[in-house]
Amino acid sequence: MAVREAEPVGSFSEVKEAGLDREDLLGIYRNLLVTRAIEERGHILYKQGKIPGSFYTGRGNEGAAVGVASAMGPDDVGTPLHRDMGVHVTRGVEPWRILAQYMGREDGPTRGRDGNVHMADARLGMIAMVSHLPAMLPVAVGCALAFRIREEKRVAVGWFGEGSAARGDAHEAMNLAGVRQLPVVFVCGNNQWAYSTPTHLGYAVEHLADRAAAYGFEGVVVDGTDVLAVYREAKAAIEKAREGGGPTLLELKTLRMEGHAVHDDAFYVPKELFEEWAKRDPIERFRTWLRENAELTDEEEEGISGRVKKLLNDALAQADESPQPDPATLLDGVWATPEDLDTPHHK
Amino acid sequence: MAEKTYLQAISDGLRQELRRDERVFVIGEDVGVYGGAFKVTLGFQEEFGPWRIIDSPLAETAIVGACTGAAMMGMRPVAEMQFADFISCAWDHLVTVAAKQRFRAGTPVPIVVRLPSGGGFSGGPFHSQNPESSFAHIPGLKCVCPATPEDAKGLLVAAIEDPNPVLFFEHKHLYRRIKGEVPDERYVTPIGKARTHREGEDISVITWGAMVYTADEAAKQLEEADDVSVEVIDLRTVMPWDKEAVLASVRKCSKVLVLHEDTRTGGFGGEIAATIGEEAFEDLDAPIKRVCAPDCPVPFSPILEKAYIPQVDDVVKGLRELAAY
Amino acid sequence: MATETQTEVVMPQMGVSVAEGTITKWLKAEGEPIARDESLLEISTDKVDTEVPSPGEGVLLKILVQEGETVEVGAILAVIGPEGSSAAAPVEDLPQPATQAAADATEAAASETAEPTDPTPTPTPAASAPASTATSDTASQAPSSGSDNGRTFVSPVVARIASEHGVDVARVQGTGNGGRVTKKDILAFVEGGGQSAPAASSDATSQAPAATAPPSAPAAPAPPAAAAAGAPAPPKPAEAPVAAGEAGPGETFEPMTAMRRGIAEHMRRSLDTSAYVTSAIEVDMSKVVAIRGKLKKEFEAAYGVNPTYLAFIARATVETLREYPWINGEIRGDKIVTRNYVHLGFAVELADGKGLIVPVIKNVEGMNLLGIAKSVVEIAQRARDKKLTPDDVQGGTFTITNPGGYGTFHGTPVISQPQAGILGTYAVVKRPWVVQDDRGQDVLAIRPIMNLTLTYDHRLVDGALAGRFLRDLRGRLESWGESDY
Repeated sequence: MAVREAEPVGSFSEVKEAGLDREDLLGIYRNLLVTRAIEERGHILYKQGKIPGSFYTGRGNEGAAVGVASAMGPDDVGTPLHRDMGVHVTRGVEPWRILAQYMGREDGPTRGRDGNVHMADARLGMIAMVSHLPAMLPVAVGCALAFRIREEKRVAVGWFGEGSAARGDAHEAMNLAGVRQLPVVFVCGNNQWAYSTPTHLGYAVEHLADRAAAYGFEGVVVDGTDVLAVYREAKAAIEKAREGGGPTLLELKTLRMEGHAVHDDAFYVPKELFEEWAKRDPIERFRTWLRENAELTDEEEEGISGRVKKLLNDALAQADESPQPDPATLLDGVWATPEDLDTPHHK
Repeated sequence: MAEKTYLQAISDGLRQELRRDERVFVIGEDVGVYGGAFKVTLGFQEEFGPWRIIDSPLAETAIVGACTGAAMMGMRPVAEMQFADFISCAWDHLVTVAAKQRFRAGTPVPIVVRLPSGGGFSGGPFHSQNPESSFAHIPGLKCVCPATPEDAKGLLVAAIEDPNPVLFFEHKHLYRRIKGEVPDERYVTPIGKARTHREGEDISVITWGAMVYTADEAAKQLEEADDVSVEVIDLRTVMPWDKEAVLASVRKCSKVLVLHEDTRTGGFGGEIAATIGEEAFEDLDAPIKRVCAPDCPVPFSPILEKAYIPQVDDVVKGLRELAAY
Repeated sequence: MATETQTEVVMPQMGVSVAEGTITKWLKAEGEPIARDESLLEISTDKVDTEVPSPGEGVLLKILVQEGETVEVGAILAVIGPEGSSAAAPVEDLPQPATQAAADATEAAASETAEPTDPTPTPTPAASAPASTATSDTASQAPSSGSDNGRTFVSPVVARIASEHGVDVARVQGTGNGGRVTKKDILAFVEGGGQSAPAASSDATSQAPAATAPPSAPAAPAPPAAAAAGAPAPPKPAEAPVAAGEAGPGETFEPMTAMRRGIAEHMRRSLDTSAYVTSAIEVDMSKVVAIRGKLKKEFEAAYGVNPTYLAFIARATVETLREYPWINGEIRGDKIVTRNYVHLGFAVELADGKGLIVPVIKNVEGMNLLGIAKSVVEIAQRARDKKLTPDDVQGGTFTITNPGGYGTFHGTPVISQPQAGILGTYAVVKRPWVVQDDRGQDVLAIRPIMNLTLTYDHRLVDGALAGRFLRDLRGRLESWGESDY
């Protein structure tokens, strides 16, 4: 099984075949803008001293994240990582809760117990990531195992980066998934830098997607800055898994347009690389595509931008009202109670 | 009610749960066709099929990690590690993901990991350990160590029911050597509650797992030879441990010996001893004594292993020192 | 952080391990307008250089940290506010509350209670409990007095039991290592009724021999229900207290000291033992007041001693007890014990409300007013200096307490077991009193009146006896002559 490189997406009618109508496309555009707006606001808050700890964002990865999430079904589940804010946004997490999470406030999804993007709304089918990556891959495989045992038409999507691909968790997870042909899609966000480690020091094959063959399934290399190509490939892989066709490994290629975190200025990345990939900014790319292929008007554009701006301003105000967590509740939640098992997100 | 071995009781409990609740499934190496390295799941795959008794690849992280994911989707997975010692391969997952998910993200992880643990038969360093203390140290994980067949079944059922990750330490050396009366029907033995294995007045022994029988032998000797009355408390659960039961026994006897098969430094006995010192200082008529394995890996040679695992004589010696104090 | 009108600009933390930052350039000057999120300054840290967007809107009122300066993360760099306002001064830390003042207050209180004016300002009823505090102190400080114990180490549980029961560990035979007193040993001692009584053991059948020095080896461990023992023996050792559980809203927990536990246990036991009755009488103290006035100067000059009311009352009481030996007596087993001596205990309150102690003056029957006054002063001082010996707090046959030190006029003190009674004295109060004039007519006079109560054990002392005792005691006080000492 050779690795396939995905074709770019062409016209609007091609996209319609993939299952997206104009509404959907504008929705994707809005999600891209919201994703970037949240992360830019986060940067400002961080530099204003309002966000403790470290701060990670996924500038340049918005298309890859929104593209995959848009292809997931409502009952599918996923384990997005710190470059995948677009997944949370697309699945419906409210921006104010994300900002509250950043600031460690009571109304963040983890109520101050974890920071940055270590959060997830389980009701929206997402599982909160940890720092030890790719620890979420075996978990995603486990979700798929449950679907398989119960013969449900649901799919799990597991994210990992090209850096974490070096750890055993990735191997064990993909191996088990391949052996049992489980309904899981592996999404490798290859943004070319694992902190300061370039790809040639992280893996020895040409594409990480090459490894899929070692596990008995197909690998696909996709231009991660092309949200529609990502959507199309993700959709195909997810539906294949849903119908019992087993796993796929999607390698979405982007460039990490910032440092590893806000405290890193990425001096080790050649300036030319930044310049080259800046031209392929996923949001700008999609905006241009919409103008050219879907007749996006100035009005529509301004309308969407204006609504996104307002959404973020309201979100900031609301997040700022959220109280600090109460130290007296520190030990709450260490142990789960039987009542915890009766909640809808646990089905 | 029937007389069963410790192993049969576990097998029994597991089978009953598989029949009762279709969300329960078993995953591990050699658990299906082979019936498990120790034959706990013998005949299970025939009855429940290959998608409920799952033969997994040799991949502890994937096994336990998949259990976590499946549990988040509503299943009640029971993973079997072939030997407790292999749990170190999945230590990262348990400590990083399973233990913390409820606390950080509000998502419970109701998994059970069964761990054939303990030594006494020349298993060597990698087939004989009692690794409960490192997990007891991690908030969010429960550690259960039954000593009797009746408790083994009841605690396994409780573990499956519990919404938290539960590490179930089944002592291999008890599998076939210990028999007891086990109720036929389903019952739940509460996690976190100790059991008085033997009542006494002069000295209290706090212990769990296979050491309960060692303590009992030693207690008998002290009663017959020295007319000293020794109480034996079987903790049954190491995390969360029954502090009230231990303190009540200490208040009664005022002399206490903490016994475990795990190594001394950092073994869970230290936590128990420190708590007794903090909360029952004025009830002590002698220093708190610990009898544990020495700080080395479990040796292979029978002579060396005998010097490693606390023997009846070691406990008797400790008890006599306490009695004379 | 921001007040209603002003916003503070802080040094951000650019990365988890970063602790400080340096200002490289202010992009605005004081007085210049600044918009929200507009770049305000540039900073440099270990990890990265960056610009800081303004957290507020308005005018840059004050720059607090200059270019080139390095400050900690979180330090305030500048203040932004509306045009025309001035930067508010940062809130300074309030000074720590003076601990010296607290220390001074404690000393003052301590010295107050040490004032030897009336050495018995004890509001609480007396008990024999606190004997244990002095006892355990001395037991651990000095090797056992008068026992054969080779080991003086007292384990925590033995110390606790000793304190709760007022037992001198030195008097208990030890069977542990090197003669150490074990928990078993002291429990057997306590159950055997071994308190502080020095007299020979009674031959009560059900009672284990009372411990004398050295006591015989304790019998096989007595069952907890040793309540079969005779009346004066404590029924059984104090049971472990029931756990208090969690503090409720508005509640605070504090631990009980050993002394408090001891007091609690003894009070309860005393009330469970004796049949409590109290009789009261009013005494016209005018004669005593007058004579005391005269003697005070003389005593202080010649003997350096203040003749307190307690000394007068003690003298009168001891005289009266001669004629009422049962009130100075004790029920022991099925016998009544009477003595030809009086060991008089009197209650002393310890500083800081820490509890009370009852020192005992031995053989008061042989002392006159001066002797009593001196003994009281001396032993009260030793009580406050924590220099009492075990002997000082044991062996009393009758006790006087002064609940009236704070102005109260009646009370029902607790009898110090195994005694048969306790005398309570109260405030001397000027009252209108009916007296006879020289013609034998009733007239009103103003007299200093003191109430006295005798709380007694009705198993031994009947009401009539108590009444007569009080009548006679009053008689002595009301007829105190100038030459009476």
